[in-house]
Amino acid sequence: MTIGVHAPILAIAVPLLGAFALPVFAKVHRSLRDLWAIAVGAFTCAMVITVAVQTFTSGIQVYTLGAAAPTDTIASGGFPIRIMLVVDGMSAFMGLISALVGLASLVYAFHFLKEEQGKTLAMTLFFLLWAGMLGMEYTGDMFNFFVFLEVTSIAACSLVGYRTWESRPAEAAFKTMALYTVGGLLVLLAIGILYGEYGALNIAYLSSKITGSQLDKIALGLLLGGLLMKVGAVPAHMWAPDAYGEAPAQAAIMLVANTQASLYGLWRVLFTLFGGALSAPAVGWLVTSLGVLTLLVAVLMAVVQTDLGRLIAYGAVSQIGYMLLGVGVGLTVLPSRPDWGLVAMKGGIFHMVNDAATIGLLFLAAGVVKRAVGTRDLRALGGLGHDLKWTSGFFFLGALALAGIPPLNGFASKFLIYESSFRLSPILTAIAVLGSILLLAVFARAFQGAFLGPRLREAKPASPSMLVAMGVLAAVILAMGLVPGFFVEHMVTPAAEALWRGRDLYLAAVLGG
Amino acid sequence: MRLVTGQGYWSPLVWLALAAGVALLAWAFWSRGRRTYKAGTEQDQPFLSGERAPEGAHVGAPHLYWGFAQALQPVMDWLRAFHSGFLGDYVTWMVVLLAVALLVVVLT
Amino acid sequence: MIGNFPFVVCMILIALGLWTLLTRRNLIKLTIGISLIESGVNLFLVTLGYVRGGVAPIYTYAPPGAKMVLPTPQALTLTSIVIGLATTALMLAFAVVIYRHRGTLDARKIRELRG
Repeated sequence: MTIGVHAPILAIAVPLLGAFALPVFAKVHRSLRDLWAIAVGAFTCAMVITVAVQTFTSGIQVYTLGAAAPTDTIASGGFPIRIMLVVDGMSAFMGLISALVGLASLVYAFHFLKEEQGKTLAMTLFFLLWAGMLGMEYTGDMFNFFVFLEVTSIAACSLVGYRTWESRPAEAAFKTMALYTVGGLLVLLAIGILYGEYGALNIAYLSSKITGSQLDKIALGLLLGGLLMKVGAVPAHMWAPDAYGEAPAQAAIMLVANTQASLYGLWRVLFTLFGGALSAPAVGWLVTSLGVLTLLVAVLMAVVQTDLGRLIAYGAVSQIGYMLLGVGVGLTVLPSRPDWGLVAMKGGIFHMVNDAATIGLLFLAAGVVKRAVGTRDLRALGGLGHDLKWTSGFFFLGALALAGIPPLNGFASKFLIYESSFRLSPILTAIAVLGSILLLAVFARAFQGAFLGPRLREAKPASPSMLVAMGVLAAVILAMGLVPGFFVEHMVTPAAEALWRGRDLYLAAVLGG
Repeated sequence: MRLVTGQGYWSPLVWLALAAGVALLAWAFWSRGRRTYKAGTEQDQPFLSGERAPEGAHVGAPHLYWGFAQALQPVMDWLRAFHSGFLGDYVTWMVVLLAVALLVVVLT
Repeated sequence: MIGNFPFVVCMILIALGLWTLLTRRNLIKLTIGISLIESGVNLFLVTLGYVRGGVAPIYTYAPPGAKMVLPTPQALTLTSIVIGLATTALMLAFAVVIYRHRGTLDARKIRELRG
């Protein structure tokens, strides 16, 4: 089937085209623009799902741009010179996360933005961010990765700061943009070093050549520095609460998904690009300890927040800590590959989709609160449960899932992390459990403060599209909580295996067996 | 639909069955208790620390974990100062992270 | 014989840019610092592709048998310059918005978001 072969590039090209065509359609008529947005969103989701199904059933998908046939990876001369997209289990899994969050964001934004200025431009930026995220996840070329990284940076920061009639969003956007740009340039410098050494930009080809020379190590250090900042690891996480907290809800969940796309870039660099040269456990320990530090510092800061958006933002940063911890444990024991290392990786990767759903749900609920009473200050909120019944329910569900209360999805992934990380060091597990308890405390406080108690003021009810968007994420939370075995077996295990043992397959798919 | 970890397993359906059993047991105990509750009397009134709560009183979020925040005051003050909001500090910490990453990678 | 001198210059530019970011407070100057880092990285990319005695990599104009410099890093640099333009423009736009609301460009005073 032709469209199946071209699905990876269509998943990137269609939202890109959709983004830039949107203002044109908006000039014609508003309903045409809305129709176009729905069509592009639906088509992108369909393409991402097609790619995922193909990858999970028939292995790695390679799409070479500019070649006679998409599978024609090696140019004449035996050298992979063309830009190509390589989708393995991990990429397909990340694509699904982006599609889920993008869909929720699009549905949620539909009625919300009608009431604010600049809807067309915000939607353009949204599609640009979506295309950039999918590009980062599907590409098999280092420079292409950098370009999509910068596309997401620019689109994300514009989304944070496009409400120019308020002062705080611009401040958050400037700070975030400064850090994103410096981080992106560090990544570009590393790519330049690798290109100078090996004369190629293809991830698979570079990976087959990298030996671990001193220059390679410097390049890895620069990539680590840039990408760890992009994912918001403590101590370079400070942009995250600013940006998440100030962005409107539908943009904040896209930022969370974007952070996870950067996290995917980190895994790709550590497991595939440097997978053959990395033998010392030091980098694994670095990632693991940064994960523990991140979850502890962020959750402690969340306890004392008074702004609901900022509180959830710190919760989002702490979740990154769990992912770094889970996959970091796997990375530390990568040379010997014990079974529990794979379990830790599964936990960390499963937590990525859980975090996207739960944090997304919480941000969307906070957005409803902001729209309902005009403030997110916890000192002024109270009794919203009387008017916002569904929203309170969704917030409660998200809070429980995030804190890891069984039988919801947060418990399933944290359980996998707890049950394996103690083999590396019990201290890691102890801190992870402590973080979870504090998270429950944080969100019990937020729920009591905002939704319980007597009715303090009139609240504007949520619009139907908002409820539908939150309902989608809540359904994902419940499904992944009640049948975790199904999702872990069919989606998370291929993704974890792609990192754990999949490097040879990845190289073979591009360079030929 | 179990999730096997190598140390044990997690099955939400078994957990739900157990939780239902516990809830049933709790309900059995509760239903055998004394029934002294009367609607519409003073029993319906909200109390705060033994005092009759004033109309519209709400224990808001800042009032929760007051003791926790008080006990951890030095740590929290330090952490808050750490998140200073000054862009120069953001960049400084990013450079520190970069330096740590470079040192760890190059020295091993 | 210039040896590694171009690479040293690139690294000095990057270091100067970082120094600007760490020590200056004015938002415009911070943007200039980021531009400096950008220029350093771009120069680094161009330098990577240089071949001693090479000519511009255009087949129809090059004399037969001449060595050519690598075209790929130049393409990368072009892309990177365009991205740099977008980020710089965006940051300056945010600086303008911040100035309109706060009446200052001092990063030490723009700290509404903290703690």
